Amino acid sequence: MAAVDQRAPAPAARSGLWARIEKASPLLAVGIAGLCFPLLGDDYWAVIIERACVYWVLVSGLNLVVGFAGQIAIGWVGLLTLGAYTTSAMTAGTALPAFPAYVALVASAAIGALFGVIVGLPALRLRTFYFAMTTLGFSTIVTQVALAWKSVTGGGVGTPGPVFPWPFDPGWGFYYFCLLLAGICTWMTYNIAGSRFGRALVAIRDAEVAAEASGVAKPALLVTVFLFSGALAGVAGGLFSSLQSYITPDAFTFDLSVLFFISILIGGRGSILGPLLGTLLLTVLPEFAAPLVAWSTFLYAALLLLIVLVIPGGIADLLDFKNRRPLERHREIVPRPELLSRILPHPGEPNVLALKGIVLHFGGVRAIDGLDLAIRSREIHGLIGPNGSGKTTTLNVISGYYKPSAGEAYLNGKPLPFEAPPTRAAHRIARTFQTPRLIGGASVLENVMIGGTIDGAGTFVESMLALPRHWRDEARLHEAAMLALAVVGLDQLASVRADRLQHSELRFMEIARALMLRPDFLLLDEPAAGLSAEEIRRLGALIKQISKEGTAVLLVEHHADLIFDICDRVTVLNLGKELAAGTPAEIRSHREVVSAYLGA
Amino acid sequence: MFESIVSYGLAVGAIYAMTGITYNVMFSASRVFSFTAGMLGMLGGVLGAYFILQLGLPAIVGLVLVLACGALLGVVTEIVTVRPVLKNIEQHLYVLSTLAFALLVQQLTAIEWGTEAQPFPRLIPIGQGWLDQQFWLPMLACAVTIAGLEFLYRRTLVGRAFVAIAEDSYAARALGLPEQRLRLASFALAGVIGALAGFTGAEMLLAFFGNQAILNFYGFVPVALGGMGSNRGAVVGGLALGLFQQAANFLVGGIFAAVAVFVVFIVVLLLRPEGLAGGAAARRV
Amino acid sequence: MPISAPDSLLKVAGLSAGYGKIGVLNGIDLSVGVGEIVALLGPNGAGKSTLLKAISGLLPRTGNVTFGGQDISRAGPGDTVRMGLVHVVEGHRVFTQQTCYDNLLLAGYGMPRAELATRVEEALSFFPEIAAKRSDRAITLSGGQQQMLAVAQGLVRRPRLLMLDEPSAGLSPVLVDRVLAAAGQLRQAGTAILLVEQLIEKALALADRVYALARGSIVLEARTSEANLPSRLEHAYFGEGAKAPLT
Repeated sequence: MAAVDQRAPAPAARSGLWARIEKASPLLAVGIAGLCFPLLGDDYWAVIIERACVYWVLVSGLNLVVGFAGQIAIGWVGLLTLGAYTTSAMTAGTALPAFPAYVALVASAAIGALFGVIVGLPALRLRTFYFAMTTLGFSTIVTQVALAWKSVTGGGVGTPGPVFPWPFDPGWGFYYFCLLLAGICTWMTYNIAGSRFGRALVAIRDAEVAAEASGVAKPALLVTVFLFSGALAGVAGGLFSSLQSYITPDAFTFDLSVLFFISILIGGRGSILGPLLGTLLLTVLPEFAAPLVAWSTFLYAALLLLIVLVIPGGIADLLDFKNRRPLERHREIVPRPELLSRILPHPGEPNVLALKGIVLHFGGVRAIDGLDLAIRSREIHGLIGPNGSGKTTTLNVISGYYKPSAGEAYLNGKPLPFEAPPTRAAHRIARTFQTPRLIGGASVLENVMIGGTIDGAGTFVESMLALPRHWRDEARLHEAAMLALAVVGLDQLASVRADRLQHSELRFMEIARALMLRPDFLLLDEPAAGLSAEEIRRLGALIKQISKEGTAVLLVEHHADLIFDICDRVTVLNLGKELAAGTPAEIRSHREVVSAYLGA
Repeated sequence: MFESIVSYGLAVGAIYAMTGITYNVMFSASRVFSFTAGMLGMLGGVLGAYFILQLGLPAIVGLVLVLACGALLGVVTEIVTVRPVLKNIEQHLYVLSTLAFALLVQQLTAIEWGTEAQPFPRLIPIGQGWLDQQFWLPMLACAVTIAGLEFLYRRTLVGRAFVAIAEDSYAARALGLPEQRLRLASFALAGVIGALAGFTGAEMLLAFFGNQAILNFYGFVPVALGGMGSNRGAVVGGLALGLFQQAANFLVGGIFAAVAVFVVFIVVLLLRPEGLAGGAAARRV
Repeated sequence: MPISAPDSLLKVAGLSAGYGKIGVLNGIDLSVGVGEIVALLGPNGAGKSTLLKAISGLLPRTGNVTFGGQDISRAGPGDTVRMGLVHVVEGHRVFTQQTCYDNLLLAGYGMPRAELATRVEEALSFFPEIAAKRSDRAITLSGGQQQMLAVAQGLVRRPRLLMLDEPSAGLSPVLVDRVLAAAGQLRQAGTAILLVEQLIEKALALADRVYALARGSIVLEARTSEANLPSRLEHAYFGEGAKAPLT
């Protein structure tokens, strides 16, 4: 497909209320079906649907933890137990004077939130398997405590669950209560999924390093999600104890945790509809397979194994028809550098980022051995050198991943701290990576929108409740991302799943993501690797225009042609030290450089 | 009282230690933690009771059969739940695949064997009170396991190949070592060790499907505390855990003992995520 | 006029390989004759290491690779090693927790005991320094000594073709000479060598033929006896890629 130079950027996806409704239509359909169900008057199935709603209240929150953030929290039933006993104990008055049921439910949410954070915090420090184990241990402990604390929980004998008064009294009232809460949870998690927070969660899961470079603060975000998810689990617990009318510790088996988990995996990670359908399916399934009830856990486990091995993407993947349509085979990437002036700010004062006397050790090796480097606005600074000379390491020091044993970094004269990669985004320092970091399951547009995460003004709660600032943020991010994609020439692929792109397209996508920060400093790590000669030429033109707009560019590269073609200054590294620095012409004829590069 | 705490504590600690070693052996071969360690221990007891009590076989024959079953289960684990997911190891799918498989087996056991703890035969009619063989059998098994592994890793080429793959699987592959076969053998070995732990410990823990969850967690604590891959750490950790648990049981009762163990576990891990003897994490960028 | 010896030991045709989606090599043609030393030069990122990994089977690849007449296009390192094609990877990756002697034993994993012991002694005879430290753990060796140990590992199977990936990296000049001298000795004994190197002068001094690889393709192929080689190489590296036709 030949590119026509003067075409306008591809039209943004239709926005506005009608398009939003269209996108959410499957969820709305499920909700409407639930509302109409009482017309059938079937009491037996009403309880089944209530159970599905209660489970979904918990699973919708857990979905954010497992499906979006990718934390394998297997023991979440512990929070259900906590919520159930909190509500029961408070309404029965076993520990404190009796409270009204609705107040007790709110208290369960609070307890759930608190313990959600407590159980979740280890995820920030521990490896995946370790964290999974701690959640398991937690749920076991909760059950043990429930068994032992007879005065409050009734021990092994159990305790009656709360009865909610009008308007949600037992019968259809309670049905609508469960449906209402399930609907609210669906709406809230759907909003979060479509917000910069939801995208940041997925970024943490699939491309953590890129998320950090875009300024996403993992601890704060994860704590928020654990808080939210824990609260939902607590509420689900309260509803559960009412549904059961009477709870004992062995109602909260490990099987339930597995069921919650499978619902999310069947449904597919990163989706709301998928896990919803998964929860419905797994709640309803035992009804059709009554003789197999004893085998239910066995079948759940077999199902889990099957999903993990065969369809890790779940129902959501199967339903993703949009991304099955074949793409054009011979696609060309045609950047449009002339659009850059709309993205990049025209700087007032020129910016300087300077490294002074950096020394960095890895084990016994001096990876960087006393380096001074400065990158300035309107200047493309090339960094070249043999393998192991310290090029990418230098870039990693600037972007905050390593703390050198000596030396400082300065941004416009002010010291720049090390070992804090997410802070770089706020300083408008953006970068790309040697191997493209992408969220395979998300669209190209969503991948690029990650780059603008820190520019959102709305809070998590505002996104959760779909308040106006959330929509303004989304519209702005959407527009900015489309513009960035138009600049790099990928706007036609905006809604395509990122893992369907060719390698060279992914490299340009990374640049689009970096441009979202409207960077004062752009660090490029071997952007030309794997590109064809023509693509390298276009890349060069793009970088030159970025530099003209005022951004300082540091270009780490192997491709000598690109370096000599576009750089204003070149530094040659060898064994962690500067071997030579100067204009490309000076470097090209520098005897020592030639021999170091060729290695004599 | 003191003697029974010590003998029970060390014995149960030895079982935890061997389960920890099972985790370690699987981990060294594949860089993957498997949820099947507890399953192997549980089946060591259940199958042992089945062979000896129900089929009437002599104890030695029962032991050999149990170990063979352990090896077989280890092989199945590797083929079905580990090998297919090694390609995308960053997605941590192995956590779920091994969990699913372990659950499958646990449920099958619950259905076929029953959910009640069944008695396990007295293996050797020697000793009584706190010197009874039910206490020193697991300790003996643990010592044999450690000695056997040391011999394997230091004196045989196969063992050295295991150690090589654990250290640098890329270099091992380039050198022509049969990585896949060695991994399979490691899982079979882990199966044997796990089954041995369960068999020798079943006089205390009984033949009970619920042992799987207990051993999964308490067998993992020594690994987490001692550093992953470190068998010595697992032994020290296991024995310490056993003693601590028994002492806590005696002093404050079962529930609080469990809470105490869990709290210590979390606190140590949060302070030193790689364990008390572990090494540093890898480069990410 | 064909420049390769009539009996090519290793023949590579149309080889392409990469890492996941990143294509690195595009249709490489290359050959190594019996008892030859062939140097593979090129700037960083050209794909030299990738090429060796594709030949030995550490990476998946498309194209044709024949060794000693047999098709090894689908073979892995376990097979190629047994056929006499040994790849010593870059970075002197030895097993630091084991002794030098054990490192060498592992290199011959699967060989009969007695034969293995003899071969290990042979390998050690090339590097007396390592022989003296045979019972020491590899972690006590310096980087250069570890590199020598790695090359010794490559010798245990008495390969027909030994592929060395940057054996000079991180070594002092003295040690570099020692390693390259060992390579020369091997050639006397009939082993062919494919040598990836950064040190052009030393590589040219040792090798019979040279290939230059840049941006995933062969840009130069010549005998080391030809004139003007250094400047032709420089041109190939930095310029638009001068494919020097053979005379």
